[in-house]
Formats: sequence, C-alpha cells, structure tokens
Amino acid sequence: MEDKGLLEKIMNEPQPLPRRVPDYMRGKGGIWYWTGAMVMIAFFYEVVTGLILFLYYEPSNAYASTEAILTIPYGSVILTTHLYGAYIMIALVYVHLLRNLFVGAYKKPREMQWISGIILLFLTVAVAYFGYSLSGDVLSSDAIDVARGIMDGFPVIGTYIARIVLGNGESVSLFTRYEGWHIILAGLILVLFAMHFFLAEYNTIMPDPKRNAYRVPLVDREEKNYKPWQPYNLYYMAQISFFTLALIFIIPSIVAIIPHVPALFSPFPQVSPTSPLAISVPPYPPWFLLFVYKELDFAISAVIGPFWASVLFIGLPLVYLLIIPYVEKTPTLKPTRRPIIVATGVIGVIYLIGLSTWGALYPGVPVSNVVALLFFVVPMAIVIPLVWYLANLIESGRVKSQNSWKIYVLMTLDGFLAVLSGYSILSALETHSLFSTISMIILLVLLAISSLVTYSLVYGVKISVPAKLSSRGYVVFSGIYGFLAIAIISIISVIPPTNTFNQSLYGIGMGLIFFIAGGFIMLYRSHVYNE
Amino acid sequence: MSQEKDLKDEQKRNFLKIMGVLIIGAGLAGTLRSVVQNILPESVQAESSFPTLLLSLPDGNPVHTADLIVNNPQIVLYYYPLTNTPNFLLRLGDASGKDVKIEGSVVKIPATGQTYKSPPGVGPYGSVVSSSAICQHLGCIPPEIRYHPPSSTSFPGKIHCDCHGSTYDPFNGFSVVTGPTTHPLPSVVLSYDPSKDTYSATLMVGPTIYGHSSDLSGGQAVSTSFTTITTIQG
Repeated sequence: MEDKGLLEKIMNEPQPLPRRVPDYMRGKGGIWYWTGAMVMIAFFYEVVTGLILFLYYEPSNAYASTEAILTIPYGSVILTTHLYGAYIMIALVYVHLLRNLFVGAYKKPREMQWISGIILLFLTVAVAYFGYSLSGDVLSSDAIDVARGIMDGFPVIGTYIARIVLGNGESVSLFTRYEGWHIILAGLILVLFAMHFFLAEYNTIMPDPKRNAYRVPLVDREEKNYKPWQPYNLYYMAQISFFTLALIFIIPSIVAIIPHVPALFSPFPQVSPTSPLAISVPPYPPWFLLFVYKELDFAISAVIGPFWASVLFIGLPLVYLLIIPYVEKTPTLKPTRRPIIVATGVIGVIYLIGLSTWGALYPGVPVSNVVALLFFVVPMAIVIPLVWYLANLIESGRVKSQNSWKIYVLMTLDGFLAVLSGYSILSALETHSLFSTISMIILLVLLAISSLVTYSLVYGVKISVPAKLSSRGYVVFSGIYGFLAIAIISIISVIPPTNTFNQSLYGIGMGLIFFIAGGFIMLYRSHVYNE
Repeated sequence: MSQEKDLKDEQKRNFLKIMGVLIIGAGLAGTLRSVVQNILPESVQAESSFPTLLLSLPDGNPVHTADLIVNNPQIVLYYYPLTNTPNFLLRLGDASGKDVKIEGSVVKIPATGQTYKSPPGVGPYGSVVSSSAICQHLGCIPPEIRYHPPSSTSFPGKIHCDCHGSTYDPFNGFSVVTGPTTHPLPSVVLSYDPSKDTYSATLMVGPTIYGHSSDLSGGQAVSTSFTTITTIQG
C-alpha cells in the first residue's frame, strides 16, 4: 500500500462514489469544507457569462465593442458580474489555498490535489489577466505592455514567446489572441479542475484531525451516522451556491451605482488609450496583480529586468508552494506542530496584501533595495517568532483553543491590519488630508476589533448560539422570504434595462433574490432535517 | 392527537416547499428573462425611411433610356435600399423587341391572400420596371434567378429561379406564376425625370425583401445619393 503510485491506487482500488456524508461538514464551521465548491460555483458563473459576452465581443473592435455591451439589455449586469465574479473567484481561490495550507491538507495522501491546486491558482490568475486585458481600455493596454516587457525578457526565445502570446503586433491579432488565450486557459482550468475534484472525491474530505490523533494519512471512513449525499449535501450546496451567486450579483451592482469608484475597483472599462483623458488614469494593473506591479518598482528589479524580477517574485513563491508537500513530510497535522509552514502562510498573506496596498497607494514610485529588504524581513522577523511562541503556548496547554485555524486566519488579518494601520498613521502624519485621517481611524478600529476577537478566541470566550426557531416561526419566515422574492422580482421585472443604473438595480434585485433563496434553503434544512 | 400534529406538520412543510419553489422560481425567471433579452440582438434600422437614389452607370453618369436594352439577355442589377439587396432593372418588350407599356396591377400574395398595387412602368414608353432580385422562396440571387426574354424557349417573358423553380411575371407586377414561392417579388417604385431622362429608385412595395425583418434593416444603407448598376452575364 505504501509503495503504490497514485494512479495504481486509483485504478486498482476504486472507491465507491458517491459516499455517505458526515454531519459536521454542514454544521458550525462546516463552511470550510466548501471553499472549493464556492470557487467552482464562481467558475461556472464565469463560464456562462463569458459565453454570453462571447456573442458580443469583437477583437477587431475591442474597446468600442466592450463599451457597446453596456448598452445591450442587461449587458452591463453581465459584464460587471463577469468581472467581479472573477475577482470573487480569485479571492476564494486564495481562501481555499490558505485553509488547506493551515489544516495541512497538502499532506499524504493529498499531494497531487495540492499541486493541481497550485497550478489552478496560476491558471486562474492568468485567465483573469487575459480577460481583464480584453476590454481594450487604457488599463488593459498598460497590462499588455507590462506582459510584453516581461515576456521579451525571457532569455533567448523571449521575442518568440511574446509573439505567440501577443500576436504579430497588430491590434486585431493581439485581441484575437488574448480572447483565444482567455478561453484556452479557461478550458485548461476546467480539465484540471475535473482532476482536482476527482482527487478530492477519491481521497475523501479531510475529517476532523482529532479522529486520527492529528496523524497522516487522514481519510474519511464512512460511519454509521453518516447521511446520504442527497438531500443533505445537495441542499447545503444549493444554499452556498445561492449565497455565492448573491455576492457575485450584489457587490458589482452596488459598486456600479456608487459614483467616483477608483479605477482599481471600477466595474466598468476605463477610457480608451487614445483618449486625452487617458493620462489621468494611473497605470494600474488589475488588483490581483498589484503585488507584481510594486515589485517591479524595486531597485533590484530595474537591474535584473522585469522577466527575472517576475521569476523571483512570482516564480519563487509558486515553487515554494509546489514543493511544500515534498519538503514538509512530518506525519503531524497539528498547525501548532508546523509553525514554520503556518508562519510562511501568514507572511505570504502579509506580503501579498502589503505589496498590493503599497502598489495601489504609491503606483510606480521607485523603492530602494534597503526599504524593499526591510519590507520582506520585518514581517518575517515578527511573525515567525510570534507564531512559534503562540504554537508553543497552545501546545503546552496553557492556552486552550478549539478552533486554532480561526486564530491563524484572524492573526493574518491582524498582521495585515497592523501593517496597514502603520502606513495610514504615516500617511496621515505626512499628508494631513481628511481622507487619510478617516482611513487611519477606520483601520485602527478594525485592528482593535480583530485583535479583540483573536484574544477572545485564544482565551476561549464563548459566544452563545441563537436558539432554534419555533415551528410557527418557520412558516412565518418562509412566508416573508417568499413574499420578498415575489415583490423583488415584480419590481425588477418592470425596470427597463435601458441604462446602467437601471441594470444595476436589476443586479442588486437578483442578488437579493439569490440571497433569499440561500436563506430559505437554510431555513428549510433547519426545519426538515434539523440542521 | 399525534395524527393531527403530523397533519399540521405536513401542511407546514408543504407551505415551506411552495415558498421554496416560488423563491427559486423567481430567481430562475429573473435570470432567464435577462439572458434571453440579452442574447436577442436588437435589429438595427439602417435607414429611417426609403431614400431616393439616382440610378447611375459605372462611369458615374446617370442611366438614360438609351443605356437600357429592351429584353436585355444580360442581367442588370443595382442595390437598393441597402448594399446587400440587389434589384433587377428591366426594360420589357414583346417578342419582336418593341417596348411594352406596363400598367400597375393588383398583385396577390398567395401566402396571406393580401393584395397590393404594383407600380406602373416608367420611362418614355412606360416599359422600365424593377423588383428585388432575391428569390422570395429561399433567397437565391442572380444568375440563379433571372429574366427570360419573350423570345427565349424556356419561361418566355418570366423571371425564373433555377434553384427550386419559382417563377414570377414581371409584366404583372412580379406576381407568382408557379411555386414553390408563396410571395411575389417586391417591386421597386421608380421615378422618371423626362426633362433629364434619368431614373431614380424611391420606394419598395409588396412583401418584405427575403431574409430581412424589414426592408430597411439587416444591412448597410447606400451611403451615396446614387446607386450604380452592374451588368452580369445571364
């Protein structure tokens, strides 16, 4: 058994599918078993809206045809939710990755799942980059220029790679290729996702590690009290699908209505690169690539060139993530016994968010090597000893924790907020603007709240769980939900989709209906299945 | 008592189910509506009304009566009202090649039973008529569909489409002679300026041009104030 390869095991010892499922994956905290499912929902939403946009997008006329989509009935909803669906998908991919890093899901027997997941992360960001660049606006032309610079720097065959990806230099060729890559990579994601999902089913979900005394390999063995997949998991999945869809609809529709949204988060294309207004738009990349953007400002990047800088700052973390399952082979699953991995996860998040914020606030401002080095060393010097200390504290039993992962997640947030607050205090002192003062206050309040929650979790402060509804309560609430859904659908069905404002109202309405649908399924599960 | 409770629970559960179907149905209906309305392309009206276009020769000069040959065995076409809608330009005559004056006639659309009045011939002899050159059956265009002069052996004096055999009578407002077509060819209303001896296309009457949702949509407008005739071998 030990020596068998993965393929041999899969082919020769097939597992029964579908299995019966445990209750805890739908209970409190069970949502962490579904982060991958949420990514999947977002991905399928992207495929559907992407295919609809495919009917309208013209590579020969990139900017004008993207702008024209906004005037087609519901085109604005589909374009903005396609963009924000991608944003949400990327965010969820990171959440999924961190969760699995912290719980040790990369360990035996899930190494291949982890590696395919890392490749999926890369593909997701790449497909999002190509999609983002399709609009043909000033930001997309900046993003394309950066990609050209990086690819040209590839030793020896750089110009060939740039031509393969970007075409022969004509605009039509460029956008035709970008549209092609966008779809090709999305197809690759689908194929790799199928494998990732199959492996997840084959290796089973990761049960509570306590069942196996935190030792690998941790697999889910069917127990007597397990329930059939349908309806228990089916309804749960429908519930989280509706909630995810609600987010995808509501967030961009609200952002679309708010005036003066910064270019970085605007759901609409910016001005055309040939417009005289283009000069006023800062040359931002999409937010999920802001960290690369800042790294290219470092003095060292100017010396080694954009290609090697990308290898250093994108390639190195990816390689680190890829080799984790083969380097960290300790048989324990306890996060407290793996402080280095946990600490690097936290540090990675701090780097990612810190660099992105830095890039957003100070776009294109060169950074000296000393400052850059400090940026990388300081969090490392703080987080590693801190995590080590906390891990020992929990390990020795002096601090009790039922949900140590929550603490790690919150600590990540704390660290990020602390870094951000530091910056905001600095900028408030320097600029004296109202905006920076307000943001400083908000950040400090957020930091205080999250530190308080972390503290209460570490020292085991209990928060009471709301009691179950009475049987009459279910009828009343379902009636209210049904009434609201019908009311919203009748309101939004009479709003003509003639301008983006009306369409955004429709988007918010649809998001609310999905939200209500998710809430209703929650209610139904609670009433009928006692969950 | 227990049975009664079960019954009540059953009713409550059914109520919940109905609400669930309503909510998810509302979500589906809203989604479907937007998707259907979104993927339905709007038809674009190329022009707001029929333009008046002067018929001109390839060299730029206007078409005069002398440029048109009675019972021309070649096919003379021009595009009106859009750049993808060709029309025949015919100067009709009898078997001996003498101009025939064409009167406006009541043309019946066999598909609907409706009738309309076709325009009379124009020009000094009242013999110049014009119609869409797109077969109303399945959209064949010249040279598959063409005018056969009265002297020819097959289909004398008729417009015949070789694709599926639809035949039209240009002497009677391009009405249907034999199927499979169920619609006559739409006529172009020509106007003749006797002082300058020039011809203009002004309007179309009859059924809608084949393949278009209206005569003025589904293509690009002719951007000039004239439309050039082209001649192809029959």
